[in-house]
Amino acid sequence: MDKRRYFTKKILNTLLTIILVAGFNFMLFRVLPGNPARLLLPKGHFTAAALAQQKKVFHLDRPLWEQFGYYWVDTVEGHFGDSYAQKQPVTQVVGRAIVPTLVLVGTGTLFATIIGVVVGVFAGWRRNQAFDITATNLGMILYSMPTFWVSMLFILYFSVKLGWFPSGRMMEVGVTYSSFVSKAGAFLRHLFLPAFSFAITYMAEYELIMRSSIISVMKEDFTLTARAKGASESRVLWSHVAPNAMLPSVTLVMMNFGFVLSGAILVETVFNWPGLGLLSFTSMQQRDYPVMQAVFLLASVAVILCNLIADVMYYYLDPRVKA
Amino acid sequence: MNNRRIPPRLKRWIFIWTPVVWIVLALLLFPKDRPVSSGFVHVMGGFVDKRIASYPAWTLWLAAIALVVVGVLGLRAHKKSFRMQLTVLAMGIVAAVWGSAQMGFTQFTLGGRGSSYSWFFQTVLLVLAAVLVWFWGTDHAERAELMVWNTREVWRIYRANWQGIVGLVILLFFSAMALLAPFLVNHAWVSANAAITPHSPFSPPSFHNYLLWFGSDESGLSVFAEFVWSSRISLFVGILATIITTVVGTGAGIFTGYYAGWIGELGMRIVDVFLVLPWLPFAMVLAAAWGQNYAIIILIIAFTSWAGTARLVRAQVLSVKEEPFVERARAIGSGDAHIMRKHILPNVMPLVFANAVLTVAIAVFSETTLSFLGLGDPLNFSWGTMLEHVFDQGATTVPSATAYLFAPGIAVVLIVLAFNLIGAAFDEVIDPKLRKREHSSGQSRFTEAITAPDTAAD
Repeated sequence: MDKRRYFTKKILNTLLTIILVAGFNFMLFRVLPGNPARLLLPKGHFTAAALAQQKKVFHLDRPLWEQFGYYWVDTVEGHFGDSYAQKQPVTQVVGRAIVPTLVLVGTGTLFATIIGVVVGVFAGWRRNQAFDITATNLGMILYSMPTFWVSMLFILYFSVKLGWFPSGRMMEVGVTYSSFVSKAGAFLRHLFLPAFSFAITYMAEYELIMRSSIISVMKEDFTLTARAKGASESRVLWSHVAPNAMLPSVTLVMMNFGFVLSGAILVETVFNWPGLGLLSFTSMQQRDYPVMQAVFLLASVAVILCNLIADVMYYYLDPRVKA
Repeated sequence: MNNRRIPPRLKRWIFIWTPVVWIVLALLLFPKDRPVSSGFVHVMGGFVDKRIASYPAWTLWLAAIALVVVGVLGLRAHKKSFRMQLTVLAMGIVAAVWGSAQMGFTQFTLGGRGSSYSWFFQTVLLVLAAVLVWFWGTDHAERAELMVWNTREVWRIYRANWQGIVGLVILLFFSAMALLAPFLVNHAWVSANAAITPHSPFSPPSFHNYLLWFGSDESGLSVFAEFVWSSRISLFVGILATIITTVVGTGAGIFTGYYAGWIGELGMRIVDVFLVLPWLPFAMVLAAAWGQNYAIIILIIAFTSWAGTARLVRAQVLSVKEEPFVERARAIGSGDAHIMRKHILPNVMPLVFANAVLTVAIAVFSETTLSFLGLGDPLNFSWGTMLEHVFDQGATTVPSATAYLFAPGIAVVLIVLAFNLIGAAFDEVIDPKLRKREHSSGQSRFTEAITAPDTAAD
């Protein structure tokens, strides 16, 4: 398929999916069982004037089809109303939480990808030997571990028993640091445990995928050719087998990155990390629907965009797509 | 029908499995307050208790209607042998009578649950079902023979995979624990009713009292009791959610794959939307809006995972429908529904089954996660609820509560691991290329390891 047509098709598909998801988001908060006024309006005692004001913000005083029109205008312009819990515009509340989450999941994904891919390459290369059997079975076990349970174990061992790392938050409260270096050091100490617990499941997943992908690439003819022309074992592995086996992992990493919010919710809740995950958890507990609506839309769009990026990367990495 | 003899092995299976299913069904709703320590007669009395098989009346009515419809349609379609269809009809009638008995015969309540004869109706229905299988085996002896042979072949290949066996052993262990929970611990130790006096909070584990094997929780209740009873909810939610996911996903996959035109394309766009929905935030929104109980959790898990199954099945359907036998079926005038049911479905079934096993792992995982976030049913414990309590009570830092943190977590890991291992083993059964060795070849893993880098012969 020629390049322009391939990309046009992918981008159009992405736009269509975003539109459908945004429509679904509208439905989720207004049409599904449950009174929209109950969902989008705060609990507790409010004066009639305040209620009317809230209704006006979400256009709940209009018929449904008009609400749908307003919903699109508001979404495109970025009007998501005010958070009930924090009495601030939703865009501010959410905006503040984005960077901590990106730092956390970025570091976690980096850990997971590097360790998972390297271990997977060696396991697949030395298939059925002691290292592979250990790594694969360990990978299966780690893959079955709930992220939040791993986080609690880490807190129990590394911060309560050994006292190496703090057990939560992004920074100590009420501590002023003398220099930028000590501040950065404290931040990294806070970052390590959450990022590592976030990484565990993904690490195991990439290890297993990488291993099976190495095994299947080693059966290809070009591996045999490389061997036949006398390339050394390490050259066969690192210049011929591994780059070709990277493909499934690369797209998987990218697609998983879209879904990070699901993992972040658990890690951030346990470690009290002030990111999007903790925000969605607290806003669920407080029934802060405007925030939930915005976070949900943001999370869905992230998934769709990451899928698009994965497709684009696939195009450049895999020569077969171009043919 | 020329050979009207039931395969002897099928006959044996009927005799073995009917009582097993009867016991399992009885244990599902066994009274919760009759542990072994309460005496033999008291325990056995549980099998004819009012609570056994006290399903809500609407499920029975639904089953009755479905059975009667299938029976009547069968009677109209087949002219030669009536006994299978008549058995189905009889089952429908029994289910209808049972439904009325649950409602108390005089009033109409869809949720009616009270009948002292429920265990008896359940037994009759089960025997009729066994008779139905018997008739099927006799009337379609060749097909039954083939099914028996296939099942044994699958088991022969499966057995050669030690990881699959490990998974199966773990699963059997936890299933036994879940089913036998009423015999092991009195449920009062979970629900904290007046029948028991609690221990002191966070008592350390003690070997002498089985209630304190894992210590006690924040209100002095037995962690071991919670652990045992939680296994029921975790497994039940996981399996039920998987059944819904698989049925919906397979249906959608076959439909969108078979009708590849604009209908299928539209269906795929809907599937795509469900694929990109971030499942945890979505589940949190739904649980927050709809309330907290396990019916909703099951629906949420099914709602967020059917699309994956649909896409997988669709890909398989796209290749199956190009096979010559589908062309042939169409050439002799088979309708779409017939082709989908008799030619496509059997060919995607192995894939669906292997995928369903993996889906159970995901469902148990999801249930634990949602319960941990406090979205579970506060009245019924699951392992996720236990972990939520551990976290909320700050028990992570209490030294005597270590078992409280470890027991449910390890159980979840083992169960999810078991289903993943079983799923991988089934993948091997379906795809011969994945098999490490044939059972008969006598080659061990270690002799293969020597030749491992040279995989050209694989």
